[in-house]
Amino acid sequence: MKKVYDFKWEDLGNLEEGRPNLGGETSVVVYRLMQFTFKDVFSKELGKEKTCELFVKAGLLAGREFCRNVLNCALPFDEFIADLKAKLIVLKIGVLQVEQANMEELNFMLTVSEDLDCSGLPIFGEAVCDYDEGFIAGILKEYTGKDFTAREIDCWATGDRTCRFEVKPVEK
Amino acid sequence: MNSTQVLNAIGSCLARAMERGLGKNGLVFPVACQETEDDDCRNSCRNLEQIFAQMNETYRFAEALANGELKANVSRSNIFAMPLKALQASLRYLTWQTNQVADGDLSQHVDFLGEFSLSFNRMIESLREKDSLEQRLKTITDVLGEGVYLVDPEGHLIFANPEAERLLGYGFQEMAGELVLHAIYKQYADGTFFTPEGTQLVTAVQIGQSYDNDDCVFACKSGRLMPVSLACRPVITGGRLEGTVIAFHDITEQKRHQRSLQTINALLEKQASTDALTGIYNRLKFSKLLALEISRARRYHSSMAIIMFDIDKFKDINDTYGHQAGDSVLIDMARVINANIRATDIFARWGGEEFMVIATGCTLEQGMQLAEILRIRVAEKIFSVPRAVTASFGVSAFRAGDNEISLTNRADHALYQAKENGRNRVEAEDAAS
Repeated sequence: MKKVYDFKWEDLGNLEEGRPNLGGETSVVVYRLMQFTFKDVFSKELGKEKTCELFVKAGLLAGREFCRNVLNCALPFDEFIADLKAKLIVLKIGVLQVEQANMEELNFMLTVSEDLDCSGLPIFGEAVCDYDEGFIAGILKEYTGKDFTAREIDCWATGDRTCRFEVKPVEK
Repeated sequence: MNSTQVLNAIGSCLARAMERGLGKNGLVFPVACQETEDDDCRNSCRNLEQIFAQMNETYRFAEALANGELKANVSRSNIFAMPLKALQASLRYLTWQTNQVADGDLSQHVDFLGEFSLSFNRMIESLREKDSLEQRLKTITDVLGEGVYLVDPEGHLIFANPEAERLLGYGFQEMAGELVLHAIYKQYADGTFFTPEGTQLVTAVQIGQSYDNDDCVFACKSGRLMPVSLACRPVITGGRLEGTVIAFHDITEQKRHQRSLQTINALLEKQASTDALTGIYNRLKFSKLLALEISRARRYHSSMAIIMFDIDKFKDINDTYGHQAGDSVLIDMARVINANIRATDIFARWGGEEFMVIATGCTLEQGMQLAEILRIRVAEKIFSVPRAVTASFGVSAFRAGDNEISLTNRADHALYQAKENGRNRVEAEDAAS
């Protein structure tokens, strides 16, 4: 058995073949069940801070793979965002909105409504979309070739109705 | 306070709010929690006090949003404000989207905002169609072999196609917003300057009228004056003058061609009216001019005489000295006559060795005098053949009722008489004929 696992897009399998009757979709509850139980177990094994860090890392990988395999990086920025937004809706991940975009400094204020990770959660008093943070940063890294950080400043779990992410390039 | 008093106080407070609105201070919780009678009542009052505070905050937040303050804040724990926060996020996004659209990004799409989504997306569709139409029009004007300017009603340049830039040498960017006609339309074809104001073209632009001109010049950036043909058409939208399209093309080649044609036509005209040997008018031209002069004489009751003359024994000259010598005699004859008639007289070769002179404004006597002078000059002239050359002359004068034939016939008859009477002489028409 290998010591590490390297993710490949093909590992997601052939859903048409594998799930001819049930199809490629599942319920948000099942998705959240997996994510929050992972979070439970990881935080108890590794501590909450490390867990969040790992979720961000996983999200980053997912974002890059998603961008590479689902999106069209050749599009100009405006069209790329429009395409991303449409794909996120089709895949029922969330409703992406841009509140601010500074193309010179590459700073963005993005919101995701009806977010797969958190919309409808009880108020925990803290943002919970660590995976989303990584996912957004991963997409932008793949598109621009630059490292980004996405920090969730508003979340359903903090009492907001939309997740708001402050996205900026990593200062080196 | 007991529970009943608490409920009454709250009831009165709410009734007042329902009746008069929240006012400047909002909902003020009417009970001092610490003064209530027991713990349960106190706890309930504290919760209610918090609800009142959240409602006040929500009201202020909603008011701020209604005033367009999209950066307004509300506390995270406010349960009433949550849908408003979603609305706030949507409005902030719509603000960004609107700016994007204003900057030309037509990939924007609004989802899940009910009728607003439909309206916004319909607007984008419509803008895309317009954009597509503009692109098509731009492509057309780009490939059009016609310079196209679009100016506003004051004449400021809004658009120039590549052909206009190429023809006149002005890039669009350097002329954008400028009074373009003042730069390019200020001279006549001969280079003299005029003030564009008040010209038909500038007036047409200002009042939104169509105007065409096939013969004007535009000044190129290089200073060259380019002859152009232009068409000017107003752009009127909803009854309002939006500007004017000025389409023009270079007609330098056309002008050159026109000048060549004029030269050729003049040459052909000369050839058609001139006797190739002597260079004086031929019979065809003479007939036209005679008809004209007869009309003039008829209209103004003026005098006019015609002199028909013929070189005496010209056949002998030809037979003795050859046709080339005969031609020289004809040429010399034309010269000597030309030198002795007035500028207003008309001289032509009638055919062979016969010539005609229209002595405008002359009576029969004056015509006779002129003919006599001509006869003498001919007789005195030393021609290129080694013998004397003389001519015989017949003169007739215009009479009322004359036409070209009657007038000419009388001169011909007089000439015949001159020949009969011994040649080298002048005979007048028969007064009785």
